[in-house]
Amino acid sequence: MSGDNRDLRSACLWAIALAIAVILFEGTTVRAVLGLPMVLLISGHTLLRAIGIRADSPVEHLIYAIGASLVAGIAGGFVLNAIGLMTPLGWAIWYLLVVTSASALAIRRFGAAASLPWPRLVPIRAPHAIAFALAALLTTAAYALAVHDEAKQQQFKYTEFWMVPSPDNGSLSLGIRSEEEKRLRFDVEVAVDGLPFAVFRSVEITPGQLWTQKIPVPQRSVPQKAEARLYRLDDKRLYRRVSAYLPGS
Amino acid sequence: MTARSGEGTWAAGPDRSWIRSVLSLIGPDFHDNRIQAPSQPVHPGWCATLALIIAAGLLLMAAGQGAGLRSDPSAARLFWSGVVVVVVPMVLRIAWPPIARSERLFLLVLLAVALFFIKISYAPTGFAGHDEFLHWIAADDMLTAGRLFLSNPLLPIGATYQGLEILTTGIVNLTGLSLFAAAMLLLIVLKGTFITSMFLFFEKLLGSARMAAIACLVYMGCTSYVLFDSMFSYESLGIVFCALIFATEAASGNRTDGAGNERLVLIVLLLAGLAVTHHLSAAYAAIYLCAVAILEVGRRDASLRDICSAAALAAVAVALPVLWLEAWGDPLIGYLGPVVQAGFQALLQKFGPHAAVDPRLDSIVPAQALAMRLTTLCGILLLSLGCATGFFRTLATAAPADAPPGWCRIGALLQRRWRDSRLVLVTFLAFGFPLSVIFRLSVGGWEIGNRMGTLAFVGVGPVVSVAVVRFWQGRAPQGWNRLGPALALVVIVLGGVTAATLDPIRGPYRAGGDSESIEPMAIETALWAKEWLGPGNRFVADRVNRLLLGGYGRQDVKVDIAEGVTTGRVYEAETLSQGDLYALIKSDLDFMLVDMRLSTAPPVLGFYFENWEPNLGEPISPVALLKFDKVAGIGRIYDNGAIKIYDVRELHER
Repeated sequence: MSGDNRDLRSACLWAIALAIAVILFEGTTVRAVLGLPMVLLISGHTLLRAIGIRADSPVEHLIYAIGASLVAGIAGGFVLNAIGLMTPLGWAIWYLLVVTSASALAIRRFGAAASLPWPRLVPIRAPHAIAFALAALLTTAAYALAVHDEAKQQQFKYTEFWMVPSPDNGSLSLGIRSEEEKRLRFDVEVAVDGLPFAVFRSVEITPGQLWTQKIPVPQRSVPQKAEARLYRLDDKRLYRRVSAYLPGS
Repeated sequence: MTARSGEGTWAAGPDRSWIRSVLSLIGPDFHDNRIQAPSQPVHPGWCATLALIIAAGLLLMAAGQGAGLRSDPSAARLFWSGVVVVVVPMVLRIAWPPIARSERLFLLVLLAVALFFIKISYAPTGFAGHDEFLHWIAADDMLTAGRLFLSNPLLPIGATYQGLEILTTGIVNLTGLSLFAAAMLLLIVLKGTFITSMFLFFEKLLGSARMAAIACLVYMGCTSYVLFDSMFSYESLGIVFCALIFATEAASGNRTDGAGNERLVLIVLLLAGLAVTHHLSAAYAAIYLCAVAILEVGRRDASLRDICSAAALAAVAVALPVLWLEAWGDPLIGYLGPVVQAGFQALLQKFGPHAAVDPRLDSIVPAQALAMRLTTLCGILLLSLGCATGFFRTLATAAPADAPPGWCRIGALLQRRWRDSRLVLVTFLAFGFPLSVIFRLSVGGWEIGNRMGTLAFVGVGPVVSVAVVRFWQGRAPQGWNRLGPALALVVIVLGGVTAATLDPIRGPYRAGGDSESIEPMAIETALWAKEWLGPGNRFVADRVNRLLLGGYGRQDVKVDIAEGVTTGRVYEAETLSQGDLYALIKSDLDFMLVDMRLSTAPPVLGFYFENWEPNLGEPISPVALLKFDKVAGIGRIYDNGAIKIYDVRELHER
């Protein structure tokens, strides 16, 4: 920061860039690089300049700026809700307005007021930089390991079996999805009001596979109860049983 | 050693020697007044080495979590060795007397983020805490509908306090990140901001970066610091606002350079943000600022300006949350009232003369590993020792510089002469610590004790810090004087980790255990409901599955079946009574989810639905859970062996 308000001009440019990115880019990288500092720091910094707070140290200024940014974000939520614009573009416009108006106010009130000097940076030698880089790498590896272990966990082996009436009640959606250890074969029997209606023999399902069937059922004046049974052929036992009601016409 | 005026009268006879020993232990005398040891420049080598050590510790923690998921017996060894690798060197370095202020602060922030990794490693890709789901559902609703103040049946008060959700959805909208990623990034920034604000606040009060850093370390020993205040929940943002308000107010107070007025504007803005973010944190800020104002009125040397600014801030701190609540019809009493009532009842039952403890309560006290309990106990004992030896010394620090040493400094305070009202206040806040421990001894009072700790440790931190620096260590400590208190701080921080949760290591599924009950099969069921039934169906389920249905399944989950008919009552009865059937018929429910695993083991937390359910602490009979199969009009549309979904829509037509 310096006495010529470079920080405020940079903040305004940042807000404009963010608005453009929100309009032009669907991806997250550019928008995240521009958006996160805006939500968590930059908007608050311009507000502090507008209020005229001179912190005793850069660290103090930093946490004040974060605090003011949080307040600006919450206020933005209420304003955007009131005008029905809680959308990406609405948020970008909000921050553009906050940053530009706060900057304009700061310049009008305090002119080119001298801000805090940058903190003196500690000289870092190559071994230190390498150690920090290694630390970052190890931390990333720790997170990746946690994600990997969580993705790999499968405490229960199971088969999902379902029968759902379609929204128009003219058919039944039957489905099987396997999270078993190995490939399994099933027989599926469907009955409507106790009478056999459909049979699917030796349906083979591998782990992770989804099997679905849509069965049209003629509508009647009274409700009908459909029942489906899933038999596991390995041990020839009833494995799952589901049922559904089809309302009368 | 300072002079001990007036102690001669206490030492009249040998039988008074124990009184003298106690007084010298707790008394206000300092071993050394020159608390500022000569500071060294920042040592980048130490910082880099510690960063590397921390990263290795995080890797061990992650490996421990993975082992826990595989039910590998090495899980605890790996995880806890990771925690020790992170905590021990960091605490020793931070508490070391002669290091640079900025190095202490950098390492504190590093430690805060490293401790946050305990939460991340537990659930690296999704929310896991009960309260996190409530706020996730609210934020997701906000994103979908594009507006605020949507009702949340699982957290009715949440519609009034949406600061956290607003910020998170703002980040999601601007960046395109997932809600979970946005929430985690926000929480990391909040953790860093909190510890930095507390450091600046304590530094202002105590006049020493070293004491401020030690006070921050002690704060990390608070039961709510490591996990509860790190969740995606409104208190995580609320306490950051509190810390910022405390730090800004302390920086603005009693200034003569005129720079305090602008800070008052910032404090008002922060109070406004807090008022719409979290009720209890807003109450903490109001209590703090009101107490400061009262003490300023009482302070003999206070100027009219000091009193007016303190009173104005106190008025704003009270008015803003009250006005916000009034605008919403004051839903807070209905929300917090039962919690407070249950807490006090539990306390009275435990310690009252006519204790009539429900025998079921003993059986539902959740179990924790012995080593964890011992560490927590050691932490509490050390904190108590620190409070005992630091209380009067901290008060004496608040006395004017010209006050005579010894107990006369306390006498000066009694004559309403203190240099900083905030320091007097935080010293008395430390009294909240034993109270919070007492509340935590009962199952019903646990919640109050946990929340009290957040504010009480604002006082415990500086008091223990003064004890460490001005009594146990002194200016240039050597040998055990140097290492002993530092090791005690290590135990205190570790105690904060062990007291944070029943088990920070993720293990196999356990019934009725909130985060311990969340596993892929139940998540898949919730996702199935979203895919095949569509979002927004009215569902009832047990406590854990309704979170998953609301979060992953985007269903409209209900707590009760109908007014006065709890889900627990209907699920746990062996047969469906006529009254319950009538309630089901007349309800607006679409689906019911039944998890057969609730019949396999007693609930970890003592209950499957709510803590007033009929079968507290007992597994539900399988017959009870399967009774819906026999009811005409109810169809079992989904079954994966353990979890079944019943369609009750046809029931309403009958």
